[in-house]
Amino acid sequence: MSVRDVIAPFTAWKNVFLDPVSIKDPINERPGAPRYRGFHQNDMDKCIGCGTCETICQNGAIDMVPVEGQETKDGDSGLRPRIDYGRCCWCALCVDVCMTGSLTMSNEYQWVDSDPDVFRFIPGAEKKSWDDAELGYRRPEGHAIKPGSRVEMGEVEPEARICNFDEIVDGYSIEQAVLEADRCVECGLCVATCPTHMAIPEYIAAVREGDYEQGLRLLYDSNPFSQVCGRVCTHKCETACAARHEGDPIAIRWLKRHITDQVPIEKYTEIIGAPDAATGHKVAVVGAGPAGLTTAYDLARKGHEVVVFEAQAHPGGMIRYGIPEYRLPYDVIDSEVAVIEAQGVKINYNCRVGVDITMEQLRDDYDAVLLTIGLHLGRSTRIPGSEHSMVTKAVDLLRDITAGIEVEVPRRAVVIGGGNVAMDIARSMARLQKQKYGEIGMTVTALEDLDHFLADPEEVKESFEEGIEIFDARGPREITFDKHGNLTGLKTWRVTSIFDEQGRFAPSYDESDEVDHTGDMVIEAIGQMSDVSLLGEELTEKLEWDRGRIQVDKAGRTSEPWLWSGGDCVKGPDVVHAVADGHRSAASIDSYITEVKS
Amino acid sequence: MTLEGTGYRRLKPMKTLGEILDVAIEFEQTARDFYSGLIPKVSKQLRYLVEELAEEEQRHFDLFSEVRARPDLESQIGEMVETPASDARFTDCVHLPELGEKPDDQEVLQFALGREQAAIEQYSALAKSTPPGPIRELFNFLADEETQHKNELEKIYYEVVHSGGV
Repeated sequence: MSVRDVIAPFTAWKNVFLDPVSIKDPINERPGAPRYRGFHQNDMDKCIGCGTCETICQNGAIDMVPVEGQETKDGDSGLRPRIDYGRCCWCALCVDVCMTGSLTMSNEYQWVDSDPDVFRFIPGAEKKSWDDAELGYRRPEGHAIKPGSRVEMGEVEPEARICNFDEIVDGYSIEQAVLEADRCVECGLCVATCPTHMAIPEYIAAVREGDYEQGLRLLYDSNPFSQVCGRVCTHKCETACAARHEGDPIAIRWLKRHITDQVPIEKYTEIIGAPDAATGHKVAVVGAGPAGLTTAYDLARKGHEVVVFEAQAHPGGMIRYGIPEYRLPYDVIDSEVAVIEAQGVKINYNCRVGVDITMEQLRDDYDAVLLTIGLHLGRSTRIPGSEHSMVTKAVDLLRDITAGIEVEVPRRAVVIGGGNVAMDIARSMARLQKQKYGEIGMTVTALEDLDHFLADPEEVKESFEEGIEIFDARGPREITFDKHGNLTGLKTWRVTSIFDEQGRFAPSYDESDEVDHTGDMVIEAIGQMSDVSLLGEELTEKLEWDRGRIQVDKAGRTSEPWLWSGGDCVKGPDVVHAVADGHRSAASIDSYITEVKS
Repeated sequence: MTLEGTGYRRLKPMKTLGEILDVAIEFEQTARDFYSGLIPKVSKQLRYLVEELAEEEQRHFDLFSEVRARPDLESQIGEMVETPASDARFTDCVHLPELGEKPDDQEVLQFALGREQAAIEQYSALAKSTPPGPIRELFNFLADEETQHKNELEKIYYEVVHSGGV
């Protein structure tokens, strides 16, 4: 043994005065790194239950489950993710893909319990010490698995479109459609919001895969007006889209149109398939609009004989006689209806029920009757001067333009109203003015301010682009005239508020802020109603009514057992709701005639 | 001589509180009878509207009659109250319903709204011209009742006339 061997152990004493490198209480004094992927956190209010986290999890560690207090509503399934830590590998893909950024991971990694079941828990719903932890893993700013912006839809430039009624939306090319379809995470929140519950994620997947025939089959399973809805649907599905939380919603409407554009019309009937064998039952439908023709389509496919009675010379109802051709070309409606007729539906045009045939005759000659008569009568403000011959209603003008009847085209006209009908008539008249005078002179006055316009924002934007003047928050007071009695325009007051604190209609005006809008014609576009005169007094008395509208049950059946009703005349104006109504009525009529009438 | 002098007071249009309440009750009564009379005349799909109006006027008639009979108002029923400029229009509304035999829903609503507005203006003006106290409170109460009814009618008007917001 050397001296060195004797002294060496004592050299360790030099470390006595150094700070220790080991941790005295590692359980409590060792936090995870700032971006450690620890236990999950979920902001329950931000989460929409889209289930994208569940879909992406490679270990099947996430289940979407109902949680007390979380209600299902448009754009929120009401489900929330439950994590199984027996399966989770803390990869954080769920955090990276989360559509709202609600799902994050704390930097907490210790959780001791003797009950293994507790390690399957719902973050956010079950209180945990790490719920408010600020450190942990969050999706890095700017990182997104899918592009946030939608593929822009091409449109004809305002200067080129204002002189004609050609369709202004181009439609997607295949490349554009695939790019847009690729943004969809297939959560399916849109399906619940769509009134007719179209298989949206599936038909978007068909676009991605280039299987347009499958796409068309899926569309026509739930909507025989897919070409129409691909253009003018109110697309509420897009307001429920998970993608809208961190970017633009998927252009669901345009993708639907894309599918219908890609399949040759001659192939539609072959893809949809032939109807069932004839049953011998007969159903009459009054009105060849979306609700009536959807019912007709469904019933014809089941083998029933369906005859549609249409007062006008062409099919479509409100979508033809209320929507201008530049938004919805007539040949699109015609090809849509041709598909329906190919299922065996017969349409009697220029046949006005109540005049050419009575409701009683229909009741006696058919097993069931459906009434889908739209909202073809316009409402008037009835302000002073509104009875003048140069004060017209938007629906009447739109109908005449569609029917090819020559309408009076003034150099300047003023529209009252802020909904889609107001924009439609302003833009239609602007086109006619441009053709006749080479310039346009259209003014729109609306009660609502621009932020609360009832018209679709696209319609308002396009109206501005086309040179239409829009005066928002203006209340009509009176029609003005010169000393010879010629109409000179409309006087309005500024609207200070439309609704009271309880949200009730209670318009108030600033009478000192008065504007004279010059015009040779005033067009009223404030509201519409049904022409129920076809019912006759006896049936009107027999029927039950619901605040001015025909009362129907959930299946669309009226208080008269042989009569159903639906579409705009019952639910208000909306194409896709009319289609949904049509399906409901068809199902109810089918079960009635097969069970009761057989 | 001040404006509040005896001569001025004699010249100013005055009615007793009892007279005013009687006119108010008559106002509701004629409206109720008018709407009730319309029920069989209008088409069935509009009947709900006139039925609701008749019910509401009946409710007001009962309410105002109860007020008229309140024992605590008995001593004040003879009190003279200055009648406002709106009095003539209000009285016209009592006696002169200006609606045709077969009105549509919009006509009925506009007529009803006009009557409610006349009543609101009348009771508000009466409250304004009355010194603070129970009588003013009573007029404020009546004005409030009519305002609430008018607000309900405005809502119905929006639903009916601006149907679907199209």
